[in-house]
Amino acid sequence: MDYIYDGTFEGLLTCIHHHYYTEKTTGISVKDEYQPNFLNRSMEVITDEIKTDIVYEAIERKISSYDLRRIYKVFLSCDPDKEMKILRYIELGFKKGSAVSMLHGDPIVFDVQSLEKKVNREKERMLQFVRFSVMKNGVLYAKIEPDHDVLELTAHHFCDRYRNDPFIIHDVKRKKALVAFQGEWYITHFEETDIPELSADENEYRRLWKTYFDHIAIKERTNPKCQRNFMPVKYWKNLTEVNIFGESYK
Amino acid sequence: MKESPEYFGKRVAMEVMMGKLKILADSAKYDVSCSSSGVGRRNNGTIGNTHSAGICHSWSADGRCISLLKVLFTNKCAYDCEYCINRRSNDFPRASFEPDELARLTIEFYRRNYIEGLFLSSAVEKSPDYTAERILECLRLLRYKYGFSGYIHAKIIPGVSSEILHQIGLAADRLSVNIEMPSSKSLELFAPQKKPKQIFAPMRQITNSLIERNSLVGPGTMFKGKDINSPENYLGVQQISSETKGFRALSANVRKETFAPAGQTTQMIIGAGGETDQSILTTSENLYHTFKMKRVYYSAYVPVVDSPILPDRTTAPPLAREHRIYQADWLLRFYGFSVSELFNSGDENLDPDLDPKVTWALRNLDKFPIEINKAPYEMLLRIPGIGAISAKRIVRQRKVSAVKFDDLKKMGVVVKRAKYFLTCSGRYYGDRKFEEETIRNSILQMENGLQLSMFDNNWKQLEAEAKQEKLAAAGVI
Repeated sequence: MDYIYDGTFEGLLTCIHHHYYTEKTTGISVKDEYQPNFLNRSMEVITDEIKTDIVYEAIERKISSYDLRRIYKVFLSCDPDKEMKILRYIELGFKKGSAVSMLHGDPIVFDVQSLEKKVNREKERMLQFVRFSVMKNGVLYAKIEPDHDVLELTAHHFCDRYRNDPFIIHDVKRKKALVAFQGEWYITHFEETDIPELSADENEYRRLWKTYFDHIAIKERTNPKCQRNFMPVKYWKNLTEVNIFGESYK
Repeated sequence: MKESPEYFGKRVAMEVMMGKLKILADSAKYDVSCSSSGVGRRNNGTIGNTHSAGICHSWSADGRCISLLKVLFTNKCAYDCEYCINRRSNDFPRASFEPDELARLTIEFYRRNYIEGLFLSSAVEKSPDYTAERILECLRLLRYKYGFSGYIHAKIIPGVSSEILHQIGLAADRLSVNIEMPSSKSLELFAPQKKPKQIFAPMRQITNSLIERNSLVGPGTMFKGKDINSPENYLGVQQISSETKGFRALSANVRKETFAPAGQTTQMIIGAGGETDQSILTTSENLYHTFKMKRVYYSAYVPVVDSPILPDRTTAPPLAREHRIYQADWLLRFYGFSVSELFNSGDENLDPDLDPKVTWALRNLDKFPIEINKAPYEMLLRIPGIGAISAKRIVRQRKVSAVKFDDLKKMGVVVKRAKYFLTCSGRYYGDRKFEEETIRNSILQMENGLQLSMFDNNWKQLEAEAKQEKLAAAGVI
C-alpha cells in the first residue's frame, strides 16, 4: 500500500502508525508529489493527532529522544526518499533500542546519519550566511534559499543573538518567514510584497562591508577554489559581500 | 534636488570611514587568527552571543575565513620591525580609528550578521600603554555603552602595563600576544624593539589570571582529564598580584569574574628567519606546555617590505611548509604526539611529500598493523587516515558489534590510506607488501594528483581541521 500524506511531520508519523496497524507500506509520498502506479494501491492518510502521539511517544520511549530529534531533522531534509529512510530507521530502532545510533556500519543508519549531517550542515551554513538588511522601521530582514527546510532550526540562535531587534528571515523558495522579537518567534506565510523598505544608510554599510571583504584578502595567497569550497556559489546570491545590492539591483 | 547639509555631512563621514577601513584592514590582514571559538555565551547584554564552536561568516578571495572584523586600531607605528608592513620606515598610508567610531561599526556589522565580533590589534602609536588605553576604551564602549555580548579578540602589545592588560582581559574573550619569531635570535634581528621579556610577561600574566579563575583549558586534548588549574601550574612571580597576594588568597569574587574565557593564543612567522621545522615546533610545544595556550598560529612570511636581511619581494610565501607545520601542530594538540617523536630520524624538517602522521607511521612500522577491534582509542588515533571522529565511532560501535572492514568507510575513515596500517578481526587488507618503501610509494602514488596542485587541494585537509577544532571547542572530543 502506498501512503499519501500532507507533508507534515505529524502526517508522516500517522503513516507510520498505519504501517504497523493497518497495512505494511510500499512507499510514503507527499500528496502533490505522488505519482500513481498500477502496481500498488494507494491511500490518502488523514493526519491524526492520537496516532501521531502514539508513534511519537513510542520512538522516545523505545528508542531515545536523541533519535526522535534526529528523525525530525531528517524529515526537514529535501531527500525524495526521506520518508522510507525514516521508516526503516524506526523499524530498526524498535528492534535495537537506543543502540541503533551506534551501528555506524549499518546502511539504514548510515542513510539517516548522512541526511542528518546534511541538514545540520545547512543549518550551520544559515548561521554563517544569513545577511540582514536594516529596514526603515528598524526591522532586520534577510532572504534565504536553503535546499533543506532549516528555517526553524535557526530560530534559537538568532532569537538569542538579536533579542532586542525585531527580525524576519524569509525563505523565498518556501514562501514563509521566521518572524521574531524579544525571544518570541513564529513562522508565517510570507510573500515578496511583504518585504519592508531599506533604511537610509543601509547601502552605505553594505559598501563598507564589501570594502572590508575585498581588502582583507592577501593577494599573494589568492585561492578561489578554497573560497568556493567553504562558501558554495549557490549561496552567493544572498551574500552582501559578493552580491552587494541583491537581485533587484540592475 | 539639492542635498541637505545634514545628509552631506553624513556622506562625508561615511567616505572617511571607508578610507580608514581600507587602510586598517589592509594593515591587519597578515594576522592569522580569526577564530571565534572557545566560549559559548548566551546574550547577557543588549545584542550578541557566542557560539562555542565559533562561526565563520565569509571567506575572502585567499580562502581564509572571515569570522571577526579584523582591523588595526591604528597603523601609525613607533616601532621598526623588519618584516612588518606597518614599520615606521615604510612609506604607507596611515590612519587611526576613534574608539566610538570603531565600536559603532562593529555593532552595525554585527547586526547584519556579517561578523561574530571584533579582532582588534594595533600598531604601537606613541607608547604601548597609550595605544592599549585607546583599545580598552573601544572595548568598554562596545561592552557597556552598546551592550555587546558577542566575541572580542584583543591583541596585547608587548610592553603594556599589567593593569591595562588586566582590564582588557576583563572585556575580551580571547587575548593573544604575538611571539612573532620562532627564536629569540630572530626576534632580536627582525624586531629589535620587542624584547622577549616584554612578550613572555603578558603571556604569563594571562595564564596566571586564567588559573586564578579556574578557567585554563589548554590546547586541544593535550591536558584532557588533568587538573591544570592547580596552584602548581602558577607561573613564577607575578608583579601585579600585589592586591591578590598569591593564588590562595583570592577572593570568591575574583574567581567568579570572567577573564578572557576563550583563553590565549599566539602567532609566529614562518620562513623569515632560518629556523628549522623542528625548532619551530619545539617552540610551540614549549608554549603549549608552559603557558597552556589554546593555539599557536603560523603565518607563511609574505614579503611586503624590502629588507636586506629578509627574503626578497619576489619570493613566494612558503605555503606548503606552513601547511605541514599546521598538520604537525595538530598532532601535538589532538593526537598525543610529541615533537621528539615527529623528528626521531635526524631530519630537522618535515617531509614535504607526506603528511607527518604518515611519515611517523612509516618510521615506526613495528607498531603496526593495529587491530581495529582491540586497540585502545589512543592507538586508533595514530593510524593514518583515522581522525578523532572516526576513532570515536569505532570505539562506540565496538561496544555493540564488531567493526568490519567495509564499515570503516561509512565511519569516515580514509580507507585507501588507513588500510596499510590496520587489521580488521585479524585480516590485513593492504594490497602491497608490508614494508616501508612499498607503502610509502603507494601512498605517494595515490596522492600524486593531490601533490601536484597541493594548494588547490589542501582545503580538504584544512576543512577537516577546522571541523575538529570546532568539535574540540564544543567539548565533543
